[in-house]
Amino acid sequence: MEFFERFMVPHPSFLIYMSMVLIALVSIALVAVVTYFKLWGYLWREWFTTVDHKKIGIMYLITALLMLFRGGVDAVMLRYQLSMPENAFLTAQHYNEVFTTHGVVMILFMAMPFITFFFNFLVPLQIGARDVAFPRLNLISFWLFFMGAMLFNLSFVIGGSPDAGWTSYFPLADNEFSTSVGTNYYMIAIQIAGIGTLITGINFITTIMKMRAPGMTLFKMPMFTWSALIANLIIVFAFPVLTVALAMGAMDRLFDTKFFAIGDGGMDMLWANLFWVWGHPEVYILILPAFGLFSEIIPTFARRNLYGYNAMVWSMILISVLSFTVWTHHFFTMGQGAMTNSIFSITTMLIAIPTGIKIFNWLFTLYKGKIVMTTPMLYSMHFIPLFTLGGVTGVMLAMSAADYQYHNTMFLVAHFHNVIIPGVVYAMLAGLTFYWPKMFGFMLNERIGKATVWVMSTGFVLAFIPMYITGLDGQARRMYTYSEATGFTTLNMVSFIGAAIMAVSFGMLVWNIWYSFKNSPRNIGSDPWNARGLEWATHTPIPSYNFAITPDVTNASSEAFWDMKKNGVEIFKGDIKKIHMPNYSGLPFVMGVFFFILGFAMIFSMWIVAIIGLIGVLGCMVYRTFEKDEGFYIPEEEVKATEKKYEEMYKKRGDK
Amino acid sequence: MAHVDHSKPLEYATEENDLKIFGFWVFLGAEIMLFGTLFASYFALVDRTGTGPTAAEIFEIGPVLAETFILLASSFTIGLAIHAMRLGSKKATLTFMGITLALGLAFLSVEMYEFVHYVHVGAGITVSAFTSILLTTLGTHGLHVTLGFFWGLSIMIQIAKRGFTPATANKTFIFSLYWHFLDVVWIFIFSFVYLKGMM
Amino acid sequence: MAKFFPIGQVMGFVFSLVLTFVALLVYFTDMSMKTGMIVLLVTAFLQAGLQFMIFMHAGETKDKWSIYSNIAYGFGLVIITVLGTLLILLWDMDM
Repeated sequence: MEFFERFMVPHPSFLIYMSMVLIALVSIALVAVVTYFKLWGYLWREWFTTVDHKKIGIMYLITALLMLFRGGVDAVMLRYQLSMPENAFLTAQHYNEVFTTHGVVMILFMAMPFITFFFNFLVPLQIGARDVAFPRLNLISFWLFFMGAMLFNLSFVIGGSPDAGWTSYFPLADNEFSTSVGTNYYMIAIQIAGIGTLITGINFITTIMKMRAPGMTLFKMPMFTWSALIANLIIVFAFPVLTVALAMGAMDRLFDTKFFAIGDGGMDMLWANLFWVWGHPEVYILILPAFGLFSEIIPTFARRNLYGYNAMVWSMILISVLSFTVWTHHFFTMGQGAMTNSIFSITTMLIAIPTGIKIFNWLFTLYKGKIVMTTPMLYSMHFIPLFTLGGVTGVMLAMSAADYQYHNTMFLVAHFHNVIIPGVVYAMLAGLTFYWPKMFGFMLNERIGKATVWVMSTGFVLAFIPMYITGLDGQARRMYTYSEATGFTTLNMVSFIGAAIMAVSFGMLVWNIWYSFKNSPRNIGSDPWNARGLEWATHTPIPSYNFAITPDVTNASSEAFWDMKKNGVEIFKGDIKKIHMPNYSGLPFVMGVFFFILGFAMIFSMWIVAIIGLIGVLGCMVYRTFEKDEGFYIPEEEVKATEKKYEEMYKKRGDK
Repeated sequence: MAHVDHSKPLEYATEENDLKIFGFWVFLGAEIMLFGTLFASYFALVDRTGTGPTAAEIFEIGPVLAETFILLASSFTIGLAIHAMRLGSKKATLTFMGITLALGLAFLSVEMYEFVHYVHVGAGITVSAFTSILLTTLGTHGLHVTLGFFWGLSIMIQIAKRGFTPATANKTFIFSLYWHFLDVVWIFIFSFVYLKGMM
Repeated sequence: MAKFFPIGQVMGFVFSLVLTFVALLVYFTDMSMKTGMIVLLVTAFLQAGLQFMIFMHAGETKDKWSIYSNIAYGFGLVIITVLGTLLILLWDMDM
């Protein structure tokens, strides 16, 4: 019996049972719909096996949005639990599980795929390439990430969710204190997704360093591509640390090794150390692409070029090194001496300087600009003050002596949400609105869009500013309830109302997508925002080969499309030639499935099944190395015919 | 199919090949960090032996020397294999690769003996934080060598069957980068795990 | 036969053997911990440089600066991580 008991959720409640039923119903409904409309073949041929960077990007986007809602529901539950003293909505155990999954899902399965979506969709277009350097590896990245995300979410219905916090500190995360398989899910699902992310990093560094259009020197790259290069560089050097830490954690739990154990020489602090050696650079992996997006959006709608291009680039290069030198500030109270804390306090304050430079550059870009207040621009305008507030509280936390007061309080929770939501989430939504017409051929409604931004910011301020106050008053994070005597009641209620308002704003986002899909005009051409970057120089919808003629930006600046439009710089020179393209492949999906089997079996220590999964993974690699795949050519005539079709389509629709 | 540039060595001759070699260098950057993290953990845990044996008590110079010289020699021979490939000699390339893989197998055998010895003297992986990190660091390197062995074998089969094409030459070159890199890692293990431990 | 043994690589191999023997001095002679560590650091990094430059042809294409900076960045970060970890967990930890 014991064998089967591990698969049960250890602390079931009415809520969990209800969610299980819902998940089951939605899954069955999805399968039924796809089967009814006979879409399996289409999905397999056009999506599951695609090596087209734009389609892989969209698959990342869909996963990210799904996870945004899963993490969002978690968030509302947490705030509701705290909205009243002695609330019995969630038990302590259930509360632990919810804040753990909220953190992991939002950082690793929402923010990461969201930025990866932008890497995939934008980078090849911005540098004038046909695809990424390793298209098939790109699909492997996606499936590993996706299987990792699904494996993690499976913990909700099979075996129980992880409950040791998104940082999963030892010894709490060890078998003694985390008895369910939940933390095994954490160690292994994140590992699988992390390998996918590492591969993405290698892929995009190679793409950006080796596949830029003729004439595009490093210092003529669009700003988002620069941010992608630096973020991927950090990915390649930070994720191996996570790989090692997770492997050691998994071994402690599964094989009884003693890395982080309490006795036998184990050192639980080593986990915290390694986790944050990865964890702090991870923050910059998320925020740099967000900065890159704002740097694309702000010049477009200020109608002037970005102020201080070189300063922007060098500040990012500086961040790429500094981000690896500050990790101790996550655990100033662990017991190391004042000297160490001082060193890391100083490095932490130093890293605020390049970030501050960027803020000033955006402000100077706005100065004397002819600002057009569109939805993406409105997100950017809300981002600057709100993010600066988060940055300033960050400098407060950076002072190690003062940090003893803030540590593990709601003040900290307010701080990091204050940088991640206006920083990363606003950038993602601004970018999504900005590039939506490039992806899907229609624009999102501006009125609903702007209303969404205002509602979201209102909710944000109401939800998080009170936490600064309760945090300073001593409300600890991760406590599932508090007594009325603490006086936290009102502010926590305000916080809950804010969270609910934010939930409404995300509902408005969904409504906007549906409304615009129904009502927006389709004859918007390929440059509806009057934008500046090379990514707007191709048709909408983007043909599979991106550009019929490889752009040559020798005579253009980092805003090649703008130079072409306004200054008549010729960037498409020469004739259309045949185009070499990579073949689609089903192998990455199969490999992902084997990874899923391997991971699931390891979580439950089912070693025979695990070996089968491992053999499957290795078999895929062997198959790949013996396979001959040289891609194919799209003949010249076909490219010309496609280009002609676009011309006819524009004429027929009456595009500008 | 793809455009072949005959002015360059075969392994760089197509755009795809050039990308793959560059991409592999980036991957090696990640590997540096991976092993660097293991080293950081090793140094943090090396004196935390609990009730188990210490480094000085279990290390033996004999097997370590054997492993080191075997791996150094194999790094030399895989270099010769690449040189032979650039001279266009299939036979010499296969011979040098064969020697390399044989040396790899010899290395793994000695390492296997070493692991058995550790378990015998009471230094199994679950004994203390020190033994856990020691065997994990060595094991990660050993696992890389094992994977490299089978990878090299599959490349040898491909060269034998298909001869030198841009694809096979590219794989051979990338394999040589991997193998040399494992030697670099071993040098650091040899210096900072073994020699420092026995000093 | 000689054409299969280029002088550069043979010399590289000999040099790596020499470095190994120098490193072994810390075992076979009686050195202080400090001297020993210096010897090991010097020989290990020389060995690594040798492998990268001579055997791995890191500098043979026009990408050489990208490759060198990638490796240097990796080594730099490893040094920061190792020293930082030791500082936090051992050298400056009150236990």
